[in-house]
Amino acid sequence: MYQTYDFRHHDANPIDRLLDRLLGENDAPGPLQAHRMGHGDGDHEHGEDAEADILAQFAEQADELHERVVHEHGVFVAEFLGATGSGKTRLIERLIERAPDDQEIGVIVGDVAGEDDATRFREQGVSVANVNTGKECHLDPSLVEGALEDLDLDALDTLYIENVGNMVCPADFPLGAQARVLVVSATEGDDVVRKHPLLFQACDGAVINKVDIAEAVNADLDLMESDVSEIAPEMPTFRTSAEHGDGLDKLAAFLDERGHTHDHDHDAYVGETGHSHAHDHDDNSHADGHEHAHSHD
Amino acid sequence: MHEFSIATQVLEAAREAAADHGSDTFEGITVSVGDASHVNPNQLETCLEAAADSTIGDGELDIEVETEPAYAECDCGWSGEPETIDRALAYAPDLTCPECDERIELAAGNECKLMSVTIPDGAGDSAGTEEETPDATSPD
Repeated sequence: MYQTYDFRHHDANPIDRLLDRLLGENDAPGPLQAHRMGHGDGDHEHGEDAEADILAQFAEQADELHERVVHEHGVFVAEFLGATGSGKTRLIERLIERAPDDQEIGVIVGDVAGEDDATRFREQGVSVANVNTGKECHLDPSLVEGALEDLDLDALDTLYIENVGNMVCPADFPLGAQARVLVVSATEGDDVVRKHPLLFQACDGAVINKVDIAEAVNADLDLMESDVSEIAPEMPTFRTSAEHGDGLDKLAAFLDERGHTHDHDHDAYVGETGHSHAHDHDDNSHADGHEHAHSHD
Repeated sequence: MHEFSIATQVLEAAREAAADHGSDTFEGITVSVGDASHVNPNQLETCLEAAADSTIGDGELDIEVETEPAYAECDCGWSGEPETIDRALAYAPDLTCPECDERIELAAGNECKLMSVTIPDGAGDSAGTEEETPDATSPD
């Protein structure tokens, strides 16, 4: 009656289960045939099945963006995620303020509706592309590509992407950034890290913002930081008060380092996107214009 | 919310796989959802049911959604299913190697994969040319 084409790897248990089911050990109707698809090489590692993993497709779209923006145009890209009101916009404003005058910055800002965030960035004199996501709960690579049409990549040194306020959905949709920074604030409750462990694991750095009012809301910052280090070992945490401009030096230094380390250790970027995939990187292909004369006062 | 767009991509992949084997329609799919992915298997199943339409087959699409545990390998030689982080309020794998304390990354368990597609017999390739049933059971 039916033929079943099976994409599984050489993994005895699932194959056995499938074959048991298909070849008459149970009630399956009619003769069935199991076919393994496209994996002639039994040695290949689990994780390289880009075609079969739907989520890897999203990661690949992010890779293409990364290739285009970071490698072809030499732009440093950082993405900021976090709940609505965590302080993403204020943080990016502060980073823009302290940047040297000759650093050309662009911002892609995703927001459910309106242009409030975009307007704030425009008032700082940077190029801005606003993306209204509406009922879409996260930015995805295609939305970012659309936004890039409003920016001049040849002119930019740095691109900040502010994701939609959301602690759930953006996790599976990397955008090709060299640094994914998750912004949480003391006012969200000091258990916020433990509530979103997979999201922390998907990011490169965490900001604990609004530290100046942590006491007022009974938030234990040490606890939050230790939660991050248990859940996402080796991921740096930065305590900030974006409103007062505190704690930005270390964050800015981290972003700087991500940009320059990336030039030399592309595997670190690839490994951290959460889905292993073959990605050849030829160091000679870097754009030359990747210089950042940051002065940190 | 994004389970629906994942569902439509799964069905698209199934359509392509069926077409690769000469069939316009498919009767069943098996999807594997990693425990450490952000995909909710129940929601995905609901979305697959909702997204499947009459172009797929005459009857209802037979949908099986399985889950797959996290799996990691460490440079030190350790491999296996990481422990769950007890302190976390939602599931997450412990990304510290139990042997050497280094950070480990998942090799599996964070994916959402189309595992098999069942097409009507006679619609596909000539019988026997693609059949790998005996080989499929023997590990390399």
